[in-house]
Formats: sequence, C-alpha cells, structure tokens
Amino acid sequence: MRLGFIAVLGIFFASPSIHANPALMRQHCGQCHGMDEAEGDFKLGALGSIPDRDNLESWLNALDRVRAGDMPPEEDSTLTDADRRNLIAYLRQQLETFDRSEAASKPNHRPRRMNNREFARSVADVLLIEDVGTHLPVDNLIGDARHHGFDTHSATLGFSTFHLEQYIRSVRKIVDATLLSGDRPTAKRYEIAPERILAATTAQNIKRPERAGTAQGFDFLDPKQLAYFQDFEVVPASGWYRISVLTSALDRGLYDAEDTGIYDDDPIQLRIEMGDREFVYDLPDNEVTEIELKEWMAAGSRLKFQHPTDGLRLLGNGNFKFQNRITALYYKKYQPQRYEELTKTFAPASNGRKRGPDDWHNWVDYWQGPRPRLLGATVEGPYYESWPPKRHVALLGENPIIDNARDILEPIAQRAWRRPPRAGELDRILALVEDVHRTDGVVEALKEGIVSILVSPQFLLLNGENLTADERFASKFSYFIHGTIPTSELSEAVAAGEFASHELIVAKLRGLIYDGKAASFQKAFPYAWLELNDINFMAPDPAQFHHYHRKLVSEDMIGEVLHLFRHATEENISVPELLLADYSFVNADLAKVYGLENVPQDSRFRKFNFGDGRRGGLITTGAFLTSTADSLFTSPIHRAIYVMENFLGIHPSPPPGDVEIQEPDVRQAKSIKEILAAHRSDKNCMSCHQLIDPFGYAFENYGPDGSWRDVYTVQDTLLDAEEREPTAPKSRRARPKSSTIAIDASAEFLSGAAYQDIAGYRKLMATPANQNRIVRCFVTKLLTYANGVEPAATDFAEIDQILDISAAHQHRVVETIAAVIDSPLFREP
Amino acid sequence: MNLDRRSLLKGIGGVLSLPLLESIGWAAAKPQVPTRFLVVGNPFGAHPEHFFPKDFGTDFTISPTLKSLAWLKDRMTVISHTDHGMVSGHGREVSFLSGVLPEEAQAFSEKNMSLDQVLARHVGNQVRFPSVGASLDSGIRMSWTANGVEKLPITDPQELYDHLFLNLTDQEKRQRREMLLRDGSILDTVGTQFSQILRRASARDRDQLDQFQTSVRELEQSLNDRQTWLDKDKPPFDLSQHFKDGVTIESRYDAIFDMIGYAFQTDLTRVASIEFPSELKYAELDGVNRSYHGCTHNGKQEDVTSELVAIESFQISRLAKCLRKLDSIQEPGTDGSMLDHTIVLFGSGMGYGGTHSNRNLPIMVAGGGFKHLGHVDVRDASGRNMPLCNLFVTLMQRFGVERDRFNTSTGSFDLPTA
Repeated sequence: MRLGFIAVLGIFFASPSIHANPALMRQHCGQCHGMDEAEGDFKLGALGSIPDRDNLESWLNALDRVRAGDMPPEEDSTLTDADRRNLIAYLRQQLETFDRSEAASKPNHRPRRMNNREFARSVADVLLIEDVGTHLPVDNLIGDARHHGFDTHSATLGFSTFHLEQYIRSVRKIVDATLLSGDRPTAKRYEIAPERILAATTAQNIKRPERAGTAQGFDFLDPKQLAYFQDFEVVPASGWYRISVLTSALDRGLYDAEDTGIYDDDPIQLRIEMGDREFVYDLPDNEVTEIELKEWMAAGSRLKFQHPTDGLRLLGNGNFKFQNRITALYYKKYQPQRYEELTKTFAPASNGRKRGPDDWHNWVDYWQGPRPRLLGATVEGPYYESWPPKRHVALLGENPIIDNARDILEPIAQRAWRRPPRAGELDRILALVEDVHRTDGVVEALKEGIVSILVSPQFLLLNGENLTADERFASKFSYFIHGTIPTSELSEAVAAGEFASHELIVAKLRGLIYDGKAASFQKAFPYAWLELNDINFMAPDPAQFHHYHRKLVSEDMIGEVLHLFRHATEENISVPELLLADYSFVNADLAKVYGLENVPQDSRFRKFNFGDGRRGGLITTGAFLTSTADSLFTSPIHRAIYVMENFLGIHPSPPPGDVEIQEPDVRQAKSIKEILAAHRSDKNCMSCHQLIDPFGYAFENYGPDGSWRDVYTVQDTLLDAEEREPTAPKSRRARPKSSTIAIDASAEFLSGAAYQDIAGYRKLMATPANQNRIVRCFVTKLLTYANGVEPAATDFAEIDQILDISAAHQHRVVETIAAVIDSPLFREP
Repeated sequence: MNLDRRSLLKGIGGVLSLPLLESIGWAAAKPQVPTRFLVVGNPFGAHPEHFFPKDFGTDFTISPTLKSLAWLKDRMTVISHTDHGMVSGHGREVSFLSGVLPEEAQAFSEKNMSLDQVLARHVGNQVRFPSVGASLDSGIRMSWTANGVEKLPITDPQELYDHLFLNLTDQEKRQRREMLLRDGSILDTVGTQFSQILRRASARDRDQLDQFQTSVRELEQSLNDRQTWLDKDKPPFDLSQHFKDGVTIESRYDAIFDMIGYAFQTDLTRVASIEFPSELKYAELDGVNRSYHGCTHNGKQEDVTSELVAIESFQISRLAKCLRKLDSIQEPGTDGSMLDHTIVLFGSGMGYGGTHSNRNLPIMVAGGGFKHLGHVDVRDASGRNMPLCNLFVTLMQRFGVERDRFNTSTGSFDLPTA
C-alpha cells in the first residue's frame, strides 16, 4: 500500500476510548486530504479538533462519506470494517459536542412574501368566496421566480414597488366583484342559437372572419380554438348566472387513433371556461345532453368553450388545417369507392397549382373527426338571492353603518392576518374608512378598508414573528398543507392541543389526505422538490421526438409524478419505496415512450408493475430523465447531480469558473464514457467526478425523452454539398448517415460498490446508508418547502431526531412528514 | 433649437408627424443634451466562432453574427475576454448587468442592482419614465432594482404602446387621478401601520420588511410623479403601420425597437432595455426549426449550429435596424446623430450556452460618442479576463454618473470619448 505516514503529534481528547480515532483519520484520509494536496475541496486540517460553526459542514460531509463507504476509496484503503465503525462512532461523538444554540444566528424561518398561488387562495378565503373571480383579477401579478424548484423560497420571493402596486390592483378587482352597491341589476335571458356561436380566432391573421355554427349545431374543430357566444361575449354585471348548454359528442373512434392522436376509449369532452375557473365534462356519444351550471361570474369576464384534447396535431407542423388529410386517409382505407368519387370532384387551387388528391385543402368540408357539438344554450342572469347579495352581507352585514366599521372589519382582519388585530392596530385603517365615507358612502369606504387589510404586511408576509406559538403553527401548517389561511376550526384545534404530538399530527394528516383536503401539498410540494416546472427548459429535439411534442407528453410525465406522490401519501408507503418502487403510473401516451405493452389505450393513469428493474418509482420517471437531458443527447453528469441533489442530499461543488468545458460533439463516434474519461484524466477534475459520475451512468440507457435505448445513434458528418442534391425535395435529400455505439451503463463507486445497469443501481440505492440519505434528503426538502429556506448545517441534530422517528415507523411517508411538522425546525419561530 | 427637424424625423418607423420633446414641449426646456442608454441582452450568450471577429484592431473583419452592423464598424467596440468570473451553468446570466448573483446580493450595498437601473436612478423624474424595459412573451431577468428585486419588462408591443404613448380621455384622467389619490391614502395607511410592525421586528425579519417599506415609499413617490405627468399629453405614435404585413416576431421586435427609439427621441425616457427570451418561438424565422435553447446544445452538428447563428444574427439585425434609424436623426441642439448620444450595449451574462461557459461573454458597445476601438482583447498581462464591471464604470461615467467603482470592478475600461 502506498499510504503515507503521518505522525500523531499528541492526544487531543480526554476520553481514552476514542483517542485512537484521530489517528485512524490521519492514517486513512491524510494522504489525499492532507494540507498540501487536498482533493475534492476537503482538507483534514480544516476539521480542527472539534466541530465549530465554520467547519461543521466538513464534519458532516466526512461522516456522510465514511458512512456511505465512499471514503476512503476502496482501492486505496486498508480500513477494516471494525475500524470504519470506530471512525463513524468517533465522528458522531465529536459532532454531538456541537451546541446548536451557539450558532450565532438561526437562518431558519425567514419571513417571506406569499407567492401568487397562495395569494389568490388566501384572498378568496378571507373574503369567503369560491375563488378570486372569473375576471382574471390576479393575471396582472408578477410571476414568481423559483429557487431550485421551490416557489416558497424566502430570498427569491422579493417585494418591490411593482408587486405592491399589482397587489392593490388585484385586490380592488376582487373586492369590486364581491361587494356590490347601487341598484340591483336586472336579469336578462339570452337564447343562444348555434349560428350565434363563434370560434375565436387564434391565428395572427385577424382579417379572416370567425367561424360560426350552422342550424345543425356548432362543431369544435381546432382544439386550440375556443368558442364563445356572440350575444354573451362579456358578462355585463357581477352576479349569479344560470348557464344551460345542449351538447353531444360525435364520431368517436371513426378515424384511426394513430392519425388523430385521440384514443378510442377516451370519452369526448367539453370544457367550459370562465377566467381561471373551469369545468370538464365527459360527453356520452351521439346523445344530446344538457349541462347546467349556476355560477357567480364577475362583470367583464368571458364564457368560453373548448374541446380539451392533446390530439389532432400529429400531421404537418401540428396546425389543425393539416389534420384534414386524416379524412383522406379514412376514405381511402374504409370507403375506397367514395374516395375515388370524391377525388374526381376536386378542383385545382385557384392559383392553378396542382394538388395531390390527399392534399388537406380538398377535404376540409368532409371532416368527421371526434368532436363535441353545441346545439344551443341559454344564459340567464344576473340574479341574486337577495339584495345586497349574500356574499356582500356575509362580509358587511345587511345594512352597514359607519359606526360599525370596526366590528365589520375586525373578523376580516383576523382571518387575513391569521390572528386577532392588536389594540390600536385597526385605528389607522378606520381613519381611512371614515375619510372615504365622507365622499363616497359606507360601502366604498369599507371596501377601502378591506383593500388596506389585504395589502398590509400582516397579510402578505408569512412566517413573521408577530404571532403566538399556536397562531404561528396554525398558519404555517395551513400554508404547508392547504396553501391558504387557517380555518377557524384549524386554529381552534391547534389551541386545544390537537397537534401537540407526533401521533396526533399523524392522525390529522391521515384524515386530511383521506378526505382529499391535502391537494395543495400533494401537488405543490412534488412540483417544487422535483423541479417539475423545468421539464421543458431543454425539451427533447422536436425533429427526433415527434410523439413527445405532438402529444404533449411532458404533461403526462408530470401526471405520472403527481400520481406516484399522491399514491405514496394515500397508501402511506415508505420514502425509499417512493423512489425505488417497481411500479409507477402510466397512460397510453407514456406507455408508448416507455415501450410498454398491454396498457389500455386511453389517457387515464393506472398503476403499472414493471418487474424488470428498468422502471418504477421516482428514480426512473420520464420527468426526471427528460428534464436532465439536453435535446439531442443525454448527460450522465446532469442526471447524477439531480439524483445527488434531489434524492440523496449531496451537494457537489460546481466546477471552477476557469475550467475549459468541452462542448459535446454528437459527430464524434465516442461514447460519453470515453469523453468523460478524458476529462477525468485531469487530476483536478477527477477528484470530484469520481464521486459524481457513478451516480449518473446507470441512466445512459434512457434517451433524451426518457425512452429505453440499447445503443447510441451517432450522426456522421454531413455529406459533401454536391452529394446532398440541394434541388431535390427535402424528403428525398440524402440524410446524414448514422452509426451505433454500444452503451455501457455500468460504473463503480469509490466505495467499491459496482453495478452493471439500472437494476443493479437500484439495489445499491437501497442499502441502509443510501436509504438514510434518501429520507434525510426528503426531510430537508420538506423543511425547505415549509420554512422558505434550506435547513442549516447546524440543524443536523434536529434532523437526526426527525430521522429517528421516521425510522421507528419504517420511514413511512405520512409519519415522516408528521415528524417534520412536529420538529422544532418547523415549530420554532 | 432646430425647427426644421421634420424632414430628419422620417426615419423612425412610420411616424411622420413632428414629435415634440416632452421636456421641451411640456416641461421646462433643459439646456443640456441628454445622454441615453440602450441595452439589449439574451440568456444564452453567442456561438463564439460566429460572434467574435477573427482579427483585432479598428480594421477588423466583421463577424457573421454581427454582419448587419457592418456599416457601424467604425463606431463600435467588440470586447473579447471580459466576464464576471462566474462558474459555468445556467442561471448566472441574471448577473449580466451587475456582476452579482441574487443569492450573493446581500454582500453588496446596492444588492444586485443592474447597470440600467443605476443610470435610471441618476435620471430620476427628469423624464416621464426613468427606465423602460421590453421583451416579447417573457423576460430574461436582466433588470434588478436597488432592493435586489427583479424589474420585469413589458412583454407585449401593444402593452408597451399603451404604457408609452396612450393618452387618456379627460374622464379617464379624472378617474385615474381619483384612483391615484385613493392608492395614495391606502399606502399612507399601510405605511403608518407598518412602522409599528417594524418597531417590534427583530433583525431576522428586517430584510423582508425593509423591502416592503421601501416599496411603500417608492410607490408613493411614483404615484406623486404620475399625478404630475398625468395632465401632460404623451407624444403621438402610430403602431398600426408595423403590423401591415402580419404579426411576426420580426415585426413585433421592430415595433418594440421603434417605440423605444421614439421614446428616446421625444425624451419620454433615457434608459431602455430590450430582452430576447429563451421561450420565444424563433422557429418562425427562416432557417430555424428548433427551440432557442435546443439550438445552443447543438453537439456541434452543423445544421443545428446554423439555426443558432440565425437566431443570434436575428437579434443583432433588429438592433442594427434601430441603430440605423437613431443614426439618421440629428441630435437637436448639438453635433452628431442621436446614436452618438446613445450608449448602446449588446451582450449576455452567459458566454456560450453550448458549453454552459460564463467566461468570455459576447459584448459589443456602440454609439455614445466614444472613440471606438474595433475588436479588442482585454486580458491583462498575466492573461486574466477583464471584469465586465470595469466597462460598466466607463459607461456610467460617460452617462454622467460620477463614480469609479461598481461591484466587482478593479478599475475602468479605457474607452476614450471621441
């Protein structure tokens, strides 16, 4: 062995039982991490004798690496198993001497601005209305930036003049559509004949007239086109409207699904949209149904209808007009005689150009694709159960007078601020109300008061200190699970001690999940944790991955992850199972990417057991594999980093700024492994990459769209210009030649653990040390989501506590989340 | 003042009527000639072999990407080997105009305030709009306020038109004034309440609360300014001409550049930024089929690389068209064209998307009355790249901001005045 000898200069530690350990450390780590040539940014000397605030992270990293067996690297090490246990015990013991209270400042729990989704939900709940309204009142808000996927990240949710002004504007719009003064508007009845239903144009060419329905009905053609009623374009006054629509579904399954992209077993649907509010109905085939709605709609909003489908975009560049060719394909295949007859009737184009018989222009009038039809509708309103309407009375009472302003505003402020207003706190707002009252009357005055309450920092800033422990917990729990203000029931339950222990929280969570009341968390958290928002930042190449783009497969991939996560919470599986399960949720679009057989041909997600180790759990979802790949090629490093950061909680440092990064060259006939091997031959690069790369090679069998591949396809250099026949039509031009290279998806970790492929990789991820990392990482992400900031290194002992509780419950998801919520890291201000 | 400007003004897109300088026509005449600043940025840098000229000096050969600026060769400087010293990867391009990432902003007194906002602060309420930011569909996070908060661009030409040129009817003005007053009293109320909270808050909460307080104060100021400007009519501008031949990303960008040019001309603003986002459907352009980001990761495949160069050349060509117009207009009351009084900066906070490198940023400066240097290599004797903030110090000084440091600067860049 080539181990260097480093003298142990003295005994640093009082306890004789561990005094040998620093020696172990020097003996086994010193050669690479000694003072002069420290590899991987880690110097032994930096540890000092005990952990302190400055070197704590180094201690924690050392423990993580030694525990995982990555360090010391297997090939250079003589560390026995007994000595490894000894070393781990030593590192833990030293870490235990660290006193968290000595950390100068606790960076946890920074106050933060609520994000836009929380704002919309919270304002609606403060005002006791179903949502912020159908008039898109929050569309003017400035989009929230995310921090590594998190839309709850304190430092990223900035606050500026622009934000404040837009909040005022939004709240005004919402309040104006809720509190109505003046004369009661009279209801009108609108009878909508199909000829008065129009397809709103989406084209840039605004000169073309919009298509109207015929006496037979209005048929939906281009799914991008939304239909509207000519006589009811804009809602005239805020109030209740009764909407009744006669509709039916036509020609499901007539055309081949391969051409339309619409599965025969999917029902034809109709989507009704009013602002951000939407309703989707499955329509029975060839049968007229009546859909009835009673909705509160805000003045100025629009009522629109759509055929919601990800189909009808497979041909040409995806524009609807090219889909008319499907009709030609249909007749040719199923009604050849009729096809012949029809093609004889086609006239040449007006400019004299010859058109082929299957040209889309010829078939526009014969379209029989799957489609909903509107046969007519009535709209009636606005009407009110009383005047002023109920929602107005719920906030202001029957006959508000200015002397009652305080009593009226107090409960509103209490809901908004998640606590009762303090003595004197409403005085300034009441002064404003009185001021406005003098010129504009009592309702306008109270509206101004409500606007003030809702643009105040007490409402807009979460996780502040100005709450009692119970109030704070209720607010935090509510935003964590529901994304909105706490209900009075929740606040009372917290005050009554119903969240006082881990067991109680587990019971509450189970109830909420069972009742479907944790939907906000079940969606927003995996979105943040798994960075789902970035899935198309680098979408697979549209030329090569037609299906991915034309069938909007990224949405299916997000659906898979959300189904998996929902399943994990509902069935309360373990956190490692969520990652490494041998099942997932797929529909027909995903099955096509994943190469699965025997999946029902429709868009519904169903649990699928893979049984081959190639897929299952979060670790092989298309969402992960696609979002970490470039459009033309994949990068084991990007995928390794994703796994390390999001599943294992390891944060490799980025390459130094002056490093020359080679641009990937798809023309060279080399596997990624050979290219990276060249990179790794540089010693500076190697010390980090030998840690990183093995986490990513296993995914080389997955292409840029997440599909399985056994070889790389390499495009050879383009042929010479003369050989390319530039005059020939595009399709007949010589294509660049391609060749294949075998894929090597095996790798060896520094610990000596090796795998051949993804199945072996899964086994290594399931070792106790890695399971521990997985759960710790999950816990860290939950805390980041809840606190708006990542836990600090100094919180390690508290996180260990959470892990102990989680371990005592087989790392089950609900118990683990409950342990986070019960932890001081969640509860403490 | 030269009263025969009408003939000179035909240059700006489709507008033939005599524009009145806001500061002359409505506000008090200002004796000094304004200096303006226009910055154009993208999120992925540029394909280096096509962006950087092959040779150096004032007699350099124009590069393929910059070809549409060939006529301006004598009045531009292309800078090789300057950057912010950032490690590689996406997300760091947001430091383009400050050299500071949002997450490290706390360490700097002006946070990660961007160059355009420093200059806008200098102009203040001398003009109606201290700065104008525009983009199509979405932005690239280029402008940041002194608070370290993103300033978002206007992402639609019609909206930009309304913002810059739409005049209100008398009734609308009355309503607007009433609304401004009402918003003012709400801010007043919130602000007063707020000071109570601030008194009780600990150091921990201060950061977010400070941002809130500054926002209240600034918005109050802005509402006051808007009251002042409300009665003054904006100059007229005809947008419809721009979309005669269809709405394309080309015509939309031309409309944006023209409106900015006209806003300069009428002194509505002196600081503008225009962004080319990654999400835009560049596939509309000739020879482009893929997404912008997709083209940067071309794996050196020639056909994909040429799509990328087409996108980058498109960005430069829209800027070039605007600069030509500015150059055709005589700056009132002094020598030179408007371009000679407008500092133009093109660049990105990313070096080249294909390698994710953030070193050697593609940077081009034009106009502004500098004695330009052509293509320069700005590495120091030991081969280190020049901090881009050095250039920013020079641009600030030219703009009239008296300071000799900016964030990571180590000096200034020697770009003499003509």
